[in-house]
Amino acid sequence: MHLGATLRLLRVDAGLSLRDLARRIGVSSAYLSRVENGVDAPPTQERLTAIARELDVPPGLLMDVANRVSPYVAGYLEDVPAAGTLMLDIARRQLTGAQLARVRAFLDAEFPLREARGHEPVPPLAPLLSPERVVVGLSCGDYEDALDVAAGRLAAALPGQDAAALAEGLRKREDAVPSQVGNGVSVPHAFVAGAAPVAALVTLARPLKLDAPDGQPLRLVVALVDGHVGRARLMRLAHVARLAGRGLADRLHGLQDPRQVLETLEELEALR
Amino acid sequence: MNPHMLAQLLVQLIVIITVSRLIGRGARWLGQPLVIAEVVAGIALGPSLLGWLAPGAMQWLFPAESMPFLKMLAEVGLVLFMFLIGLELDPKLLKGRGHASVAISHSSIVVPFALGAAAGALWLYKSLSSPDVPFSSFVLFMGVSMSITAFPVLARILTERGLMQSKLGAIAIACAAVDDVTAWCILAFVVSLVRASDLAHAGLTTLFALLYIGFMLLLVKPFLARLGARVANREGLTQNVVAITLVLLLGSAWTTESIGIHSLFGAFMFGAVIPKEGGLAAALAEKLEDVAVVLLLPVFFAFSGLRTQLGLLDTPEAWLTCGVIIVLACLGKFGGSAVAARLTGLRWREAGAVGILMNTRGLMELIVLNLGLDLGVISPTLFTMMVIMALVTTFMTTPFLKLLYSPAEQARDQLLHTPEPALPASSYTVLLCVSHGQAGPGMAVLSRALSGERKEANLFALHLLSPERSLKARGEEALDPAAASGGALAPLVGRAEKLGLSVRTLSFVSSEPARDICRTAQAKRADLVLLGWHKPLFSQTVLGGTVHEVMQEVGGTVAVLVDRGLSQVRRVLVPFVGSRHDRAALGLARRLVKQAGAEVTVLHVTSPKDSGSGTGAGRAQVEELFPADEGASVKLKVVRHASPEEAALEEAKAGYDLVVVGLGAEWGLEDRLFGVQRERIVRDAPASLLLVHHPEAATVLAQTPEQARTQGTAPETTQPVGARS
Repeated sequence: MHLGATLRLLRVDAGLSLRDLARRIGVSSAYLSRVENGVDAPPTQERLTAIARELDVPPGLLMDVANRVSPYVAGYLEDVPAAGTLMLDIARRQLTGAQLARVRAFLDAEFPLREARGHEPVPPLAPLLSPERVVVGLSCGDYEDALDVAAGRLAAALPGQDAAALAEGLRKREDAVPSQVGNGVSVPHAFVAGAAPVAALVTLARPLKLDAPDGQPLRLVVALVDGHVGRARLMRLAHVARLAGRGLADRLHGLQDPRQVLETLEELEALR
Repeated sequence: MNPHMLAQLLVQLIVIITVSRLIGRGARWLGQPLVIAEVVAGIALGPSLLGWLAPGAMQWLFPAESMPFLKMLAEVGLVLFMFLIGLELDPKLLKGRGHASVAISHSSIVVPFALGAAAGALWLYKSLSSPDVPFSSFVLFMGVSMSITAFPVLARILTERGLMQSKLGAIAIACAAVDDVTAWCILAFVVSLVRASDLAHAGLTTLFALLYIGFMLLLVKPFLARLGARVANREGLTQNVVAITLVLLLGSAWTTESIGIHSLFGAFMFGAVIPKEGGLAAALAEKLEDVAVVLLLPVFFAFSGLRTQLGLLDTPEAWLTCGVIIVLACLGKFGGSAVAARLTGLRWREAGAVGILMNTRGLMELIVLNLGLDLGVISPTLFTMMVIMALVTTFMTTPFLKLLYSPAEQARDQLLHTPEPALPASSYTVLLCVSHGQAGPGMAVLSRALSGERKEANLFALHLLSPERSLKARGEEALDPAAASGGALAPLVGRAEKLGLSVRTLSFVSSEPARDICRTAQAKRADLVLLGWHKPLFSQTVLGGTVHEVMQEVGGTVAVLVDRGLSQVRRVLVPFVGSRHDRAALGLARRLVKQAGAEVTVLHVTSPKDSGSGTGAGRAQVEELFPADEGASVKLKVVRHASPEEAALEEAKAGYDLVVVGLGAEWGLEDRLFGVQRERIVRDAPASLLLVHHPEAATVLAQTPEQARTQGTAPETTQPVGARS
């Protein structure tokens, strides 16, 4: 996953200019541009939090995208060494995502978290998909073809939508801001007034060499369509970027059955 | 300047900046641009409020003898600011925005200019000006001051509302840029006119101004481009570079001041000729912006505020005049641009939004007014009225914009790409569906004939892998994932390469091939779906199974190629009785004539019982599809035969390369899901066959406009409902 590319994707989708966001979080636009291009080091925890606040997405989500063990966790482990032992226990049992989700559910039930907004759960990706909207093993020569295939599947789920118009919509957004978030994943997205959110997933049998932010060839396309602009949409985009960071493309690569793809995805995102 | 004066100036600066920032907070809360706050702060510190409430305090804070210093500071600030405005002005905005922006920007200058000039000439000159002001200068000045649009305020409002990328924002900003340049040119002219004592001087000034502009464009601009390239490539923006640009800027401002068209014009001009590519403009803007905008610009506002005396408007008539000026200003600017925008095809809502945006006068108006006051063209009373007008028109922009162009509306327009221009007259798109390698070469030959010499077709080759086969293929060819799909597509691609065609290949795993073919055809907006046929294992018919499903679902023409070693498309036979499939077949044949110079023979079969009339009808239909100029290579053969199928078969044996035939019972080609018997024409015809199916209620491709009208382009069910509304 490429934090900079993800930040740019979210920023553009939130309708903010580089200068705007830079001004609001109190950095120079040159710095922010360097971060988005991955030339500068990822922003510090405080800056990420400020960016998350301006974009109106949970800070934890961005932190996850950045793959940062937050200093908050480090500090807590230092203060309460017993917690460290617990972590070790978890590590020794090699709990999978699904099992961790159960631990998490137990924690939620036992010690509910009372905190201000900004911490509501991130909507998962899997429910937006269905086997009909998963295309496996696409090989094509051009990114546009992948978008067209995704649009074809999406159109089937959106009554009254024309695949070509959807493909056009995806392409337009792509022109506005490249949707590659690194680790071989791209998140093209389009807006269809009033539509319920829906997604299509395309795995590529032959990775596409595009100029990705981190130089990795494209292996997975997650196309999102949304009927509303705003927080939920941004959170979905960021969530996919986070999944990309957790190796989504690697895990799905080579799977031949759409159902298998969905199961893997559910497992991967069980712990959000 | 003695030390006391310096202390005085520092206190003034502190007060000005603090007050304008404080009021700025309030303005933000109201959703107003900062400019409003700064102007209001200036007025509040001036005689209108502070001087009225506590004359002593104002005297102490802004004594008359300190005014010259304040004025100088304000002027320097303005020079820097106008430079920044010029920097922000991207020439790309002025060019290539098309018809709409040109029309809107022109009418948004001409209408208010005319209104302002008329009001000045007929009414204000008598009531609010003195006879020692030249009539022409006053009238021209009123015209200019009415037609100003504040480029920076507009840009800021657009950015804050996230409208910069929208079509609306692009139009508004382009118009504002054009307005800006035009207004400043007119203003420079007016200033030169006022300052020059007689006509000869005015002419001289104009001449010098033109020389100056030429000098800037021909000599300074290339130099700056080189400087910009250096900054972009190597050292970045060093202090030396900043020094050079500042010296040039001041020199440019000084030149225009000496010529007699005011220093502001020079600063603006210099900013405008700095190259916007590379980092130079952006870096300069970043360095200078804070000093100019935060420190110096408020001084200018305070200075204008100090000269604004609301007290001068002491009679109801004066306020009435002020009101009329505001109404005229809005009428001219809003009306002029909104009507023009509507006429260029925007919706009323968008056109209104453009009008509201263009009505923003902001600080540019203040600059113009101060100029007028300095030159003595307008009286302090009129100055005050116009300042109020500028404030009101700027103030009303944001709320009115919200009212007319709500965030929801905006979000829709922004993301929905509503202003999608009618789809570009795209070239002919063919989707080649290959299920088996052996169909490939024939399809390549046919696509070559369809796309012609100039390769005027987009060709996409689609191969769908069945889930079981892909698993198997994976086991065998795990090393090369492309091989699994490449296998079937390779013959087609190989042949296409030899023929000089570029085909984009596409393959994926699909459990419902027919539906995926339809979806892909839809997404690609394919004009023709070409299916390859190879001998199936069980069923004998060509038109069964997947082919049948595709024909049922695709919204366009579908053709199945039965390949018998098709290597060229020279002689083409089209049996014709006149069904919609036959017409589509003729359409395809027409394309073959046009693109590949094929010879087409149309075989029109009439029933033996029919007497004469059928022949005429058939000829008419053929001629309708083949205009006279193309008719040369089309032969029409009329045959009377009891069985059209027989007749077609007989003719097909006469050495044709390709028989293009529409589906239909006449030819023994019925579209059905299952069939045991292979279609006779397919079995017995020696040539390659192209079986054409055309859905109901869709238009025949390659048709003439006349037909489109007579047939009526019935809306297809697959049209998007929401996307283009």
